Amino acid sequence: MCAACHPSAAEHASGQVPSSPAQGQPAPASTPTAPAAAVEKGQSEIEKCMGCHQNENLTTTLGNGEVLNLHVDASAFANSVHGGKLTCSDCHAGYTEFPHPQLRATSKRSFVLAYYEVCKRCHFANYTKTLDSVHYTVLSSGSQNAPVCTDCHGAHNVTLQNISRAQISHSCGTCHEDVYAQYAKSVHGAALLDGNNEDVPVCTTCHGVHNIQSASSSQFHLMSTDLCAKCHSDAEKMAKYGLSPEVVQTYLDDFHGKTVSFVRKQESVVWTGKPVCTDCHGVHDIASSKDPGSLTIKSNLLATCRKCHPDATDNFPDAWLSHYQPSLNKASIVYFIKVYYWILIPVMIGGLLLHILLDLWRLARNR
Amino acid sequence: MINARTQDTTYGDEAERDMPFQRFNVGQRLEHILLMISFTGLVVTGLPQKFYGESWASAIVLLLGGIEFTRTLHRFLATLFVLESLYHFVYITVGVLRGTQPPSMIPTMQDVRDAFRMLRYCLGTVSTRPKFDRYDYRQKFEYWGVVLGAAIMIVTGVILWFPTYVTRILPGELVPAAKEMHGGEALLAFLVIVIWHLYSVHLSPVQFPGDTSIFTGRISIKKMLHEHPLEYTRVTGMPVPLDEEEESLESEVSGEERKGR
Repeated sequence: MCAACHPSAAEHASGQVPSSPAQGQPAPASTPTAPAAAVEKGQSEIEKCMGCHQNENLTTTLGNGEVLNLHVDASAFANSVHGGKLTCSDCHAGYTEFPHPQLRATSKRSFVLAYYEVCKRCHFANYTKTLDSVHYTVLSSGSQNAPVCTDCHGAHNVTLQNISRAQISHSCGTCHEDVYAQYAKSVHGAALLDGNNEDVPVCTTCHGVHNIQSASSSQFHLMSTDLCAKCHSDAEKMAKYGLSPEVVQTYLDDFHGKTVSFVRKQESVVWTGKPVCTDCHGVHDIASSKDPGSLTIKSNLLATCRKCHPDATDNFPDAWLSHYQPSLNKASIVYFIKVYYWILIPVMIGGLLLHILLDLWRLARNR
Repeated sequence: MINARTQDTTYGDEAERDMPFQRFNVGQRLEHILLMISFTGLVVTGLPQKFYGESWASAIVLLLGGIEFTRTLHRFLATLFVLESLYHFVYITVGVLRGTQPPSMIPTMQDVRDAFRMLRYCLGTVSTRPKFDRYDYRQKFEYWGVVLGAAIMIVTGVILWFPTYVTRILPGELVPAAKEMHGGEALLAFLVIVIWHLYSVHLSPVQFPGDTSIFTGRISIKKMLHEHPLEYTRVTGMPVPLDEEEESLESEVSGEERKGR
């Protein structure tokens, strides 16, 4: 009956199951080329499936009434990273016979979620990492909205994610719209989206890729200084943008940084209440310090300080040396005091040691 | 026991030279103990904050129970330090005004002369030590060092403890300036006490294993005659004893007795 329109469907009807070389033993993801015969067989399987699935109007109705489109773009798949390596049944097990078994998914989303486990057959390491992520925590608590592999990577059209770093941010932005909007306007985001800047962080740079942790934990808050420090203490990188590489050291030398350093060494992680980079500079909305809207320029700094020091007045922000090392030009009082003790301590101790030596010398001679 | 007030004694007898002389009263001894405890505590809770990057610093802070508690302890000890400094200041001032406290710590030209004589003595160009009164130039140096150091530490400490209030009237840069000064002076004080003071009272071969007079209040007459002969003379009325070398010198020059000061 089907063969009337679909000549290749005759094979299905006769009950012969075309053997797939990949069945039961998935080709490893890193294999450069499958043996020629296997490719040949795989191709023929894909062709058979495409027989129906190249139809753009091919659909099925799921349990909740949603209509699932079953069209697959064969050329997109062929051009994807899996093209030439995997066949349909490598991921869609159980559909090698026709008629296909009844789809049990009751909604489009649960259909997608059902395939979460499939990727782990080859990508076990990354799959396991996702089990530690906050996305998985959300998923296992019953929410269907958390992303699984295909939400970020795509299904039939998986390409290498690092072709475009902007693509990564965009991908996160499909769910995290507000954050993405802020990021796009920030100094990092604008550089990425306008100029495809290679140096600025994208979402995954700070949040991780597969084992994303909650960003509101004390642990993350305390360790976040390392994320900023990675680039902002790199002299070469900072020279490209006319930024000071001393920002990290000056932060650590000051009261807030010192406290955070001590707290990080404690075994139990506590909320210190002391600011890290993001508390003053913002998180997704980081603006250049030359931007009038930036939280860190002088006129805005008092409001920033007042978040923790409500009784601060106009002079108070000057207590922060704005990431400058004291020098003759910047914070000269502090600089002179530093120099004063650099001189006084050695001179004083040297003089006293000399006195002690002379005393001992005389006592020795008296014997 | 020979009491400084009664001036009722003789010396010259070997046995009596070992007897104790009362040099410090109870109040002074207690003050010193309190100073020892608060200074040590402040250094232990303070210097690790200055050297935050070093492993010994974080080890101490962790041992003390974390940075927040270390800071609380530091401020508690600082309050103690302020109170004992105030007590000392009031006690001395009132005593001086009343006339019961001689200004024995005030540096004079004699101290400068003593210092140079000591240098010449150590180098060997004179054969006798300078003769000191109640406090020698080294002790005065240390006392005024502590006074000045305490003043600096208290003022800068207050600025660091209350930066929002201080900056209502003073410029903000004074806060990091106070931080530098507080840390620098602390390091200086620590080194001077550990090197200079510990040598003077413990490690010096004359004092080893330790000069206990600040704890017991008593010092042997022999030591008094060696270290503070002018005080002994002033208190007891006895003439200043001469060293062997001086006796021969004196008899050469004149028969006049040296006056005690």
